[in-house]
Amino acid sequence: MQQGEGTEAQVTWEDQQNINKFGRFNNRSHELDDEIKLAKEENESLEDAGNELILSDEDVVRFQIGEVFAHMPKDEVEDRLESMKEEAAKKLERLKEEKESILAQMDELKKILYGKFKDAINLEED
Amino acid sequence: MAAAASSSSSSSSTSAAEERRGIPAAAFVEDVETYLRQSGLDVSASLSLLQERLQQYKIVEMKLLAQQRDLQAKIPDIHKCLDIVAALQSKNGSGEPLLTDYEVSEGIYSRARIEQTDSVCLWLGANVMLEYSSQEADALLKKNLENAKASLQVLVADLQFLRDQETITQVTIARVYNWDVHQRRMKEAIKES
Repeated sequence: MQQGEGTEAQVTWEDQQNINKFGRFNNRSHELDDEIKLAKEENESLEDAGNELILSDEDVVRFQIGEVFAHMPKDEVEDRLESMKEEAAKKLERLKEEKESILAQMDELKKILYGKFKDAINLEED
Repeated sequence: MAAAASSSSSSSSTSAAEERRGIPAAAFVEDVETYLRQSGLDVSASLSLLQERLQQYKIVEMKLLAQQRDLQAKIPDIHKCLDIVAALQSKNGSGEPLLTDYEVSEGIYSRARIEQTDSVCLWLGANVMLEYSSQEADALLKKNLENAKASLQVLVADLQFLRDQETITQVTIARVYNWDVHQRRMKEAIKES
């Protein structure tokens, strides 16, 4: 926290709670960045897998289940891949929405806190 | 801990929890001057005490983060087990064995032919493996998954509470410091006039 120059504005419990809330949102926002990165990678991998599948002309595909690669007919693999892609896309959507909502709430809190404390408080990313 | 001594200061509107699962709450200071007078500490002693509290919180945070990482690794593992059990079960009606390629050692794979079976063995840890019917295994794994998810939720809430206490402590440190700077400025101003 930036140490101000002996500001007059007193910190109330409500201010403290707003600061705490901002901190929580900030943490969650960083976590979401990591989760979104992983979700994007997963979406890409599934996309690549789908493309490979189209190109391959084998009937039996080795599909990873757990730690092993099970032999599965191509059709079944295609179906599974489709539903995995759908799930992954939905998950990415959800994460992005959560991130947007959190950023909006953080902006609200910034307005309130900067409003009261001006430059006695620093809420930016270092 | 001063948490008990200054619980009177948190008598405003929504009073926070005094502690959570062994983590003491950081007392919120309504007024710095009153706080310093009541605690009988001078500014530097007070700042040292608060810094020490902050360090203690950080230590607990490290521990909780490690637990969180373990749980977060455990959950996908349980999902993998559930997937395999489901795959075995679905092969049961078909009359065909399940063929899989598995890793014997790094970079070396072999093929396994798994005949239809109604049972699986689950690794329970501590060099113990037990045989279960596929259904029982499924139920057990699902229960473990639920427990892991529930534990993770509690842990995340603990971390949030802990970080709040860290923030409160950091803000208090800043306020005590600022108050001190303010006091010195005023004294200087009086001297010069």
